[in-house]
Amino acid sequence: MKTNKKKIWIGCGILCVLSVLLSSWYAVAYNDSRLVVPMDFKDYVFDIKDLPMIVSLSLICVYLVALFVMLFIHAGKKQRQEVETGVTRKINPKLGCLGVLGFLGFAGFWTYPVDGTVFPFAFFLFFGFFGFYYEGKTSGTFMDERFRENIARAKLKAYRITFGVMLAALIILCQGKLFGNLEYTLIAAIIILSLALGLGIFLSEYLLFRYDHDDQAEEGGE
Amino acid sequence: MAEFECRLKKYRQMKDLTQEQLAEKVGVRRETIMRLEKAQYNPSLKLAIDISRAVEAPIEEIFVFK
Repeated sequence: MKTNKKKIWIGCGILCVLSVLLSSWYAVAYNDSRLVVPMDFKDYVFDIKDLPMIVSLSLICVYLVALFVMLFIHAGKKQRQEVETGVTRKINPKLGCLGVLGFLGFAGFWTYPVDGTVFPFAFFLFFGFFGFYYEGKTSGTFMDERFRENIARAKLKAYRITFGVMLAALIILCQGKLFGNLEYTLIAAIIILSLALGLGIFLSEYLLFRYDHDDQAEEGGE
Repeated sequence: MAEFECRLKKYRQMKDLTQEQLAEKVGVRRETIMRLEKAQYNPSLKLAIDISRAVEAPIEEIFVFK
């Protein structure tokens, strides 16, 4: 993306956030904190003073939707470019640090006893982002037929391991005797499925790096 | 299973080509040429034909299945 376009998007984002902050301040100062504090929308009646908050929230929603659409189109363009040039996409290995987000999954052990929320367990999936480190290491590589074979080999092995782990875990959990409690069993299923999918994402990149790197390590130059 | 032998190195050296030059000619990475010369990689028909044309030798002379 061009720097000018990037600046425009960032600027719009900052404006949207500022408008939400300003309208929140206005609602707190002059509108009894309506639409800022949790309220019962069953009895909601529109008030002209709600307008700034409604407009700023709508703005930020439109911005987020536009941002997602733009990112989606950009990703598609990059993928097409990758196919046309035959070179792997450029990624910074430092993006592998995003795998740390996987630790957010442990938040589930806190939220479940507090209010029964289980979705944070799904964050274990983010451990798969550690794979960006290895993708970054192989980024910008020319994809000849052997490299493409290695991609297919790595993906196949990763899927086999992932589905193997998922199948084994589900068979064990479906016995229903592990925890003696259906809720705990389902939580364990969420955790294992998230971890297994994360493993699949990570493994396909790691194995590709290994196949390619091992080849290079044992070869001499000429 | 048939034993695979690759005589690419001999033909490449006869044409005075480095692995890098040959790789560039046939549109693959140098590592692929290395693997081929060690008979550790089984090329596609297209790559085999491209290599055969690049080193100007018959395909069955370069890649031998015993």
